[in-house]
Amino acid sequence: MTDVIAERPAKPSLLTLDARTRRRNAAEARFRAYGLAAVMAGIVALVVLLASVLGNGLGAFTQTRVTLQVELPAAKLDKSGTRDIEVMKKATTLTYGPLITAALSAAIKDRGIVVEGLSKKDLSGFLSKESAAQLRDRVLADPRLVGAAVTQSFLVNGRIDGYEKGRVTMQSAEKDSNVSPAQLHLADALETAGILHTGFNRDFVTAPDASDQRPEAAGLGVAILGSAYMMLIVLILSLPIGVATAIYLEEFAPQNRWTDLIEVNISNLAAVPSIVFGILGLAIFINFAGLPQSAPIVGGLVLTLMTLPTIIIATRAALKAVPPSIRDAALGIGASKIQAIFHHVLPLAMPGIMTGAIIGLAQALGETAPLLLIGMVAFVRDYPGAPPEGFFDPSSALPVQVFNWTQRADPAFVERASGAIIVLLVFLVIMNTAAILIRRRFERRW
Amino acid sequence: MNDMRLEERIVQNDKIKIDAQDVQVFYGDNHAIKDVSVAIEDKTVTAFIGPSGCGKSTFLRCLNRMNDTVAGCRVEGRITLDGEDIYDKRVDPVQLRARVGMVFQKPNPFPKSIYDNVAYGPKIHGLVRGKAEMDEVVESALKRAALWKEVKDRLQAPGTGLSGGQQQRLCIARAIATAPEVLLMDEPASALDPIATAQIEELIDELRTRFAVVIVTHSMQQAARVSQKTAFFHLGNLVEYGETGQIFTTPRDPRTESYITGRIG
Ligand SMILES: Nc1ncnc2c1ncn2[C@@H]1O[C@H](COP(=O)(O)OP(=O)(O)OP(=O)(O)O)[C@@H](O)[C@H]1O
Ligand SMILES: [Mg+2]
Repeated sequence: MTDVIAERPAKPSLLTLDARTRRRNAAEARFRAYGLAAVMAGIVALVVLLASVLGNGLGAFTQTRVTLQVELPAAKLDKSGTRDIEVMKKATTLTYGPLITAALSAAIKDRGIVVEGLSKKDLSGFLSKESAAQLRDRVLADPRLVGAAVTQSFLVNGRIDGYEKGRVTMQSAEKDSNVSPAQLHLADALETAGILHTGFNRDFVTAPDASDQRPEAAGLGVAILGSAYMMLIVLILSLPIGVATAIYLEEFAPQNRWTDLIEVNISNLAAVPSIVFGILGLAIFINFAGLPQSAPIVGGLVLTLMTLPTIIIATRAALKAVPPSIRDAALGIGASKIQAIFHHVLPLAMPGIMTGAIIGLAQALGETAPLLLIGMVAFVRDYPGAPPEGFFDPSSALPVQVFNWTQRADPAFVERASGAIIVLLVFLVIMNTAAILIRRRFERRW
Repeated sequence: MNDMRLEERIVQNDKIKIDAQDVQVFYGDNHAIKDVSVAIEDKTVTAFIGPSGCGKSTFLRCLNRMNDTVAGCRVEGRITLDGEDIYDKRVDPVQLRARVGMVFQKPNPFPKSIYDNVAYGPKIHGLVRGKAEMDEVVESALKRAALWKEVKDRLQAPGTGLSGGQQQRLCIARAIATAPEVLLMDEPASALDPIATAQIEELIDELRTRFAVVIVTHSMQQAARVSQKTAFFHLGNLVEYGETGQIFTTPRDPRTESYITGRIG
């Protein structure tokens, strides 16, 4: 052996940096700076996004209401006098509307409020068009109310609500044909009188969607239910199918051209644009299988197809990460392959599988495009029934509701859409937190 | 090459547990075991020695068909356990492995409690009925693996929380709880300190009263201390097989002599 070790320059001092070390340190410092800059840019973008969504959307969680005492004359509401529901149903919202308007003007008179230039139309347009329906629903649910007076909080018109939240001003009202300055003065007076309040709006999360003219009444109830149903379907279908597929491919499948082909295709499927899955769902589940449009079952099936590759890939990675020594240990004392997998490998792979599943689910929750194609964008006001029949009822979905509301003309829907985004984000944060917690809970050293 | 007069010995000895005849193993194109014939006796410790990569582990893994799990591995020849061909089509390797247990080089306890580690084998093979009987089996396996005293107060603690030597003894306890007839051990003490090694060696000597034990080791001293028979492998060939005393004092093959005197390695 000859000495081939490179010669070092004579006696460098440890106290001074040589040029080479200085260059390496500089490279390291530069790299750190890039990394830090990237992280900062990300944080700034996130803060801007959250601030804009919260700024626009938090208003959706409060709503302005007027508390009024409404007379319910039996002569108008129940012509038969028997409190027969079928007869009472003949009284439409057109009958109820004037009752509420009368109650409003009575309230104004009682409190001695005088507003200049307040027309009859201003008065009847002050409250939401939804309020007559709300009162009618209440009376039909409890016919004994007829003949007496009831106290109820009524939604005000979206513009008045916007005034309370600062979206509408006196100046803008002058140019707006949908609201008059007199109405805004009335709102101020009613607030001073203590019967107009802006408070927490539970209906935003529970009520169904409302039509274009009634942004103040629009809620996410149907969309949340629809999304929940779809997630349930996705979870029930994609977790077992995905995990079973991954186990088969990873542990049992022979290594040949066919399984290679399947592997490549699964990876490709994960990258297929989601709208393609929507077209597939439309063709297979609706046109071919004849399932109903707008139904959570179809949405769930389409999202299952989308989620499967994610779960399969995550599960396979998790199975691969289990050290082979554990398999050997089980096989070495005479466990069968399936016992080794189910008793030892799968529990160790669980955190990875669960994380993958939840991330897949979160992706599915936010998916919009394929749902548009299968008709989930329809205007649905009826809650879907209880599962499993409810899976076939028409419903909406959270991201589609966001899309839907951003399409509408009334500026109040901007607030609604942002509010819906907040709800969606809250669900996503909950799911991702769950993923992290599950990871922590199940993570074990070996 | 096989001038060890194996045939003669088989005739002389009627308690052969495992008989391997002309075994060849291929990993793809790599011919890892060439024409090996060994007769492993019951109630005896047989040591496999040889330089790294010579095929000791490969051959050991043929004896309980663990090589089946390696993709691309092919085994030829005939290996019998009590006269039955273990590579016969009708043999389920799972049943075979219940009778031919294995302890690996690296301790690999399950990430479960100490109790569950030992109880797993008896449970899946349906060897015990009821919790009380299982407790007994676990206790006796841990006692025979010389681990009972150290863990009897923390049977529910995770097996992975033990020290390396304790983990290896736990793996041995796990293997013997299944009541195998043959115990294969691939360098069971290679990760252990001298004290733990001594404990394991003592244990192996004790296990010999019940099973045939086959141990792969890189330590000549260990082979000399624990085994009665020694097989020396070199480049996939079985060079020499015989009484341990004879191999270490009067090896017949020059390669054996070079290895045990430290010249091949
Ligand atoms: N899973 C495998 N796939 C392909 N070749 C393998 C595999 N396992 C072992 N081999 C090859 O088979 C030969 C024998 O390996 P083996 O592990 O049996 O050696 P060994 O005697 O146990 O060595 P060591 O003492 O280092 O453990 C080696 O050439 C090795 O490269
Ligand atoms: Mg080895």
